[in-house]
Amino acid sequence: MALLEVKNISKRFGGLLAINDVSFSVGEKEMAFVVGPNGAGKTTLFNLICSVFHPDRGSIVFNGNDISTISPDRAAKLGIGRTFQIVKPLRNLTVLENVMLGAFLHTSSPAKAAAEAVKVLKFLEMDSAMHFPARGLGLPMLKRLEIARAIATQPKLILLDEVVAGLPTSEALRLAGLLKRLPEWGISAVGGVEHVMQVVMKVADRVIVLDHGSLIAEGTPQEVVHRPEVIEAYLGAKYRKLIHE
Amino acid sequence: MSGAAKKKWEAITIVAFFVAALLVPVVVRADYTLQVLFRVFLFAALGLAWNLVGGYTGQLSLGHAAYFGVGAYGLALFSKLGAPNIVAVLLSMVVAILFATLIGAVSFRLRGPYFALSTIAFAEVLRLVAKNLPNVTGGDVGIQVPLLFTHASIISFYLSAVLLTAAVLGITVWIVRSRLGYYLMAIREDEDTAMSVGVNATKYKLIALLLSSAFTALGGALYASLFLYIVPDQVLSMDISSEVAIVAMLGGAGTLIGPLVGSLILESSAEVFKNIFQEAHLLIYGVLIMLVVLFLPKGIVGTLMQKLRFFKSPPQAPFAAKPPGELNNEPERAAIGE
Amino acid sequence: MHFAYSALQAILNGILTGSLYALIGMGMALIFGVMRIVNFAHGAFLMLGMYVTYALFLRPGLNPYIAFLVAGLFLFIFGYLVYMGLLRPIRGHTDFMDILMTMGLSLILIDGVQLIFGADYHQINIPLLSKNIHFGPQISLNAPWLVSFVIALVCALLLYYVVMHTMFGRAARAIAQNRYSAPLVGINVNRVQGIAFGIGAAAAGMAGGLLLPVFYLYPEVGNQFKLKSFVMVVLGGMGSIQGAAVAGIVLGVVESLTSLYWGNEWALAVDFVIFILVLSFRPNGLFGSQRV
Repeated sequence: MALLEVKNISKRFGGLLAINDVSFSVGEKEMAFVVGPNGAGKTTLFNLICSVFHPDRGSIVFNGNDISTISPDRAAKLGIGRTFQIVKPLRNLTVLENVMLGAFLHTSSPAKAAAEAVKVLKFLEMDSAMHFPARGLGLPMLKRLEIARAIATQPKLILLDEVVAGLPTSEALRLAGLLKRLPEWGISAVGGVEHVMQVVMKVADRVIVLDHGSLIAEGTPQEVVHRPEVIEAYLGAKYRKLIHE
Repeated sequence: MSGAAKKKWEAITIVAFFVAALLVPVVVRADYTLQVLFRVFLFAALGLAWNLVGGYTGQLSLGHAAYFGVGAYGLALFSKLGAPNIVAVLLSMVVAILFATLIGAVSFRLRGPYFALSTIAFAEVLRLVAKNLPNVTGGDVGIQVPLLFTHASIISFYLSAVLLTAAVLGITVWIVRSRLGYYLMAIREDEDTAMSVGVNATKYKLIALLLSSAFTALGGALYASLFLYIVPDQVLSMDISSEVAIVAMLGGAGTLIGPLVGSLILESSAEVFKNIFQEAHLLIYGVLIMLVVLFLPKGIVGTLMQKLRFFKSPPQAPFAAKPPGELNNEPERAAIGE
Repeated sequence: MHFAYSALQAILNGILTGSLYALIGMGMALIFGVMRIVNFAHGAFLMLGMYVTYALFLRPGLNPYIAFLVAGLFLFIFGYLVYMGLLRPIRGHTDFMDILMTMGLSLILIDGVQLIFGADYHQINIPLLSKNIHFGPQISLNAPWLVSFVIALVCALLLYYVVMHTMFGRAARAIAQNRYSAPLVGINVNRVQGIAFGIGAAAAGMAGGLLLPVFYLYPEVGNQFKLKSFVMVVLGGMGSIQGAAVAGIVLGVVESLTSLYWGNEWALAVDFVIFILVLSFRPNGLFGSQRV
């Protein structure tokens, strides 16, 4: 049975149908990426999976549990971690304290939480910045901090919303290399990405393409990238012809 | 100074302070002065209690008079029903906790100013109910409150206020060093982030509020017993709610000793103003509040911490890289801080 | 039959008082909507307006129904200066600070007025006070309340017009919707916010002037209206001016009926109970639909 099964979910906000009958699944230790142009619905999809919103229709099953109607903190407790597209660090706390927050999900001792947090920070090559207050960090470090905090909760699945957006390509690729090692920690991942396709090609086992809320393609990165619907969605109809020639 | 030694000095200073405070009645005999000091410590305790939910959790409650009043009226009413003093006080703390549960359940669904307005509304409803049910509460005429101590001496009240302050401070220290403290501060900094790592924000806000309400009620009972007679506008008014919040905020919400400092400065200033300016003391008080808001926005202690960088405090951690050597020795201490 | 008429009388009286509440509430809603400031000095502004009107009544003998305009102008300027001098410098800080600042201001204003005018209650007497207009044998309405109803209605419509159809209003609404983008389209945010605050204060001041003939004047008179304004702003939803206006009328009517059936003393309590109920079940207010 797949770790995450999204079945025919739809979500409407007023007049906008943000997610339209989307279904896919993610297995254990799998790295899936949801790609799509701006406005395709990636963040909404993530918000639905970690229960910030609830689907109007359809169901989401995680690890055998129906999570369609639970609260976000319950989702985290069940093993879904997430990062935010616009990073949300706790600015007045240090890097270490930020990550400890995640570690506290599995221990109530500050000492143990700190030790766990140090481990995670070492994995993400951030341990030298442990005692810096979060507000002093630059974007690449803040993105890593988001990931560190999520990993510290020992999730089975991490949702990485635009985790490499805004980073210089070298940093993005470095981060991608680290992300590819997530399965070592027993974590599956679903990433959301708009345009940094190099990362997707390098890291993803599977790619799911969204456009205007609907799923238009699914498969390995190589398969998906050549599909005419995908090209049309990203570049427009006239390029669809180009590829066929 | 290394972290552990610093902590020891902090602890010693605080203990020394309270020992000195307890010894004050040996030196100071004037009833009037002790009464002022009683008020200083009472509001320090109330401010510290408020700080749990208003400072560390970031939920601006402007209705804490509700719990204060419940403590006061609880003592009066339960002892009227025949309960011995201690039982009456404990029961009124229980009632305060029950009210806090109700108020929290409704109010915590709201954010920012709406939460504050909701707390005001609940406190006002309680005040108006107390005013309008003379058969139960004596209405505007008031109700008698038993004396909590065997001697009607201001010294007993003063010492109790000091002990109460020490107790609330102790609880605050314990919380801040625990997971609960982290969770509360995370909720204050960014509730969505906290939820994303499994923190049930409402549950923890409620925990903070329940603790806060219990101690506030205890303070209310103490206060009521000093006057031996209470009316609704005295113990359930927005003036009390505001004073408690202001003491904490001007001293430094979210800092450990902010409310204590705030009360020391504000309550004694208010008393001085009352004597010098008589008629205009509220005006000066208002000017003081405005000056602090303009120039010391993190409160007195908060701003001091920022400037002096003596202690590492979550509300404003100084940007300072530690040398690599120290890093290896203290992942735990560094993480916990104030 | 008599029963129905008392109720009708109460409802009509409630609409009259409610119209004045509406004016006060609209001022508060404008300030909160544009600036997200919970103005704890709103009651003090009303009180100031009342005292200005009173002073003009005493000396030049100006009719309060004219003097209230002067009070409004005074409060507009005062409010603008307060915003520029006291609130703008602390805009970057938390909501707490706005509240603290306006609380401090309120203390200063109330105590200051007490120093100048004393804590005594004052009352004025104008010939209009004793006139009642009768609608049939059962219903009679007090003339001063009718006059203030009409004036409040006109002011409310004016305010609505200003907010909806003038450049200022559009700018204010733009800021209310997105404070960060507003400067990008050329809006002088500080000036618009200052003016909005001034208008909000003026609304309270004018309401104070209109209240003078029918209410006791004393330094703390504004406190109850401040609390009611909070209720109206929340009931009306997220700083919606129309919402606050309707909420004001609703409050007036509910208070009036409560006084009729349960006694005066419960009126304010019922305000708060409604407030709590609305917050529990419709936190966006009766009319609020979008989230801010």
